Amino acid sequence: MGRRLSGSRRKEALAFYLCIAPWLFGFLVFTLGPMAFSLYFSFTDWNMFQKPNFVGFKNYVRLFTRDRIFPKALWNTFFYAGISVPLSLFLATLLSGLLNRKLRGLRIFRTIFYLPALIPAAAMSMVFIWMLAPDTGLINRFLGVFGVDGPAWLLDRNAVKPALIIMSLWGVGNNILLLLAGMQGIPQQLYEAARLDGAGRRQAFLHITIPMISPILFFNLVMGMIGGLQTFTQVYIMTDGGPNNASMMMVPYLFHHAFDSYRMGYASSIAWVLFLIILGMTLLVFRSSSLWVFYESEVRR
Amino acid sequence: MTGRAGKLLDKSVSYGLLLVLSAVLVLPFIFMISIALASDATSTKMTFSLLPKEWNFSNFLRVYRDPRLGIWLKNSLLITGFAILGQVFSSSLVAYGFARLRAPGKNVWFMILLSTMMIPTQITLIPQFVLFSKLGWVNTFLPLIVPNFFGHPFNVFLMRQFITQVPSSLYDAARIDGLGYFGIYRRIILPLMKPILIAIGIFTFNSNWAMFLEPLIYLNDPEKMTLSLGVRILTETSGGAAPPWNTVMVTSMLLTVPMLVVFFIGQRYIFEINFSSGSASIK
Repeated sequence: MGRRLSGSRRKEALAFYLCIAPWLFGFLVFTLGPMAFSLYFSFTDWNMFQKPNFVGFKNYVRLFTRDRIFPKALWNTFFYAGISVPLSLFLATLLSGLLNRKLRGLRIFRTIFYLPALIPAAAMSMVFIWMLAPDTGLINRFLGVFGVDGPAWLLDRNAVKPALIIMSLWGVGNNILLLLAGMQGIPQQLYEAARLDGAGRRQAFLHITIPMISPILFFNLVMGMIGGLQTFTQVYIMTDGGPNNASMMMVPYLFHHAFDSYRMGYASSIAWVLFLIILGMTLLVFRSSSLWVFYESEVRR
Repeated sequence: MTGRAGKLLDKSVSYGLLLVLSAVLVLPFIFMISIALASDATSTKMTFSLLPKEWNFSNFLRVYRDPRLGIWLKNSLLITGFAILGQVFSSSLVAYGFARLRAPGKNVWFMILLSTMMIPTQITLIPQFVLFSKLGWVNTFLPLIVPNFFGHPFNVFLMRQFITQVPSSLYDAARIDGLGYFGIYRRIILPLMKPILIAIGIFTFNSNWAMFLEPLIYLNDPEKMTLSLGVRILTETSGGAAPPWNTVMVTSMLLTVPMLVVFFIGQRYIFEINFSSGSASIK
């Protein structure tokens, strides 16, 4: 009896490993193996054509001491992600609040707000080259109505990052989708109770809506930051990191070293710095979440 | 009385705000269409207006007349189609294993699967490029298609959540009827999971159709490029000539419209997945 059971158990285990075999193979060949190689490359001067020489931490030391562009790219990436992601979340929260007021046509507005987020980055970049054009661009023509002389955006090293941040705001619909769903799931009794206690609409929004959707805000913040740190397409197409590296970011810089000049060792060290930053940030945000994220289940317990 | 008037005012302010914001958010679409409709002369002079002043609908015929556009479209469709096929089958099979089958080490593997979700693609980009170039796959679609046949952690995770909710009585019945583990996957899981499989297909479409970095690395030959790359290649002109901006925008629209179509057809499935917290369509 016991033997037969273990036999069927073994059969089930075999079926399990057969089922997950595709992922397991992919994990080893496309993720774990490459990660190990990438770590190794980052300690070499490999250029794809000659044998790699082990150089220790030289690549990393160079990134932070002798490389003039890398610290700039690092700062630009943080500047971009650190402003565009929270700003987009903030706008999405306000818009979702507006949409959540039982107005007619909610579904239509929700769809319209989401549509620009569907435009592929390559196509969006082409449109925004013209939206941000110095003289004829829409944004400067709009500013001109108020007598403001807009900057040359993508050609101005002080305005290029704000330009990319402005462009990113058209993706606000990505956040609205989840936030609005979260708001619609908040029990109405909470608002009724608050109203009986004399709370106005703004107070209800600040003290009920925001805490109740804070897990979604938190999730979107983490995912948004991870995505923002990996920004590539817009930069590559619209500015190529310029002018004067004012919009150079980590992934375009990595790409430049790896695939323009085949400095695979150096590029791998950039990849690891990026990876460690993303890992560190993810852990940090998860650690700090208990300070400001409200989980209903914790109260129930 | 003032309360009612105030409410009316309040509502009109809300609507006004929503309308203005909607107008601002659809600007990129309007501008894209407007430039796509511009004449070649306007395109060279680069004097574009937000609202179309010229209506050269014949520009859209370039999809047929300019052979590159057709080739890029075909390439994009081919790559995305195979990616969807690969993800739907591999992710569902792996998810079934994790959801239903018991084996030693299963939890450890699942933890590993979850943790790989946080790994940015850039970390594996260079060694993968080395691997694929050693295999002679550069300038072919294979590096963009083949990895999809090994599942994606996000899809596996999503599907697993749904498969675990299938009542176990269904499995017991299937076992009594003599179905094996793979019979259950094929006869019960796949048909039951159709809405989630469609959703995974949509997610895969969204992330592959608009992909830029990977095709840029692997596809060098203009004949092999996807629409995303094509849009950019069109702006690279030699000898200081102005890019054919109207054609660029026609191609951009060709790149954008399928995203919209898939969204409108598929939003039912996506919303089911996102918002019904898992109990969707499993009876």
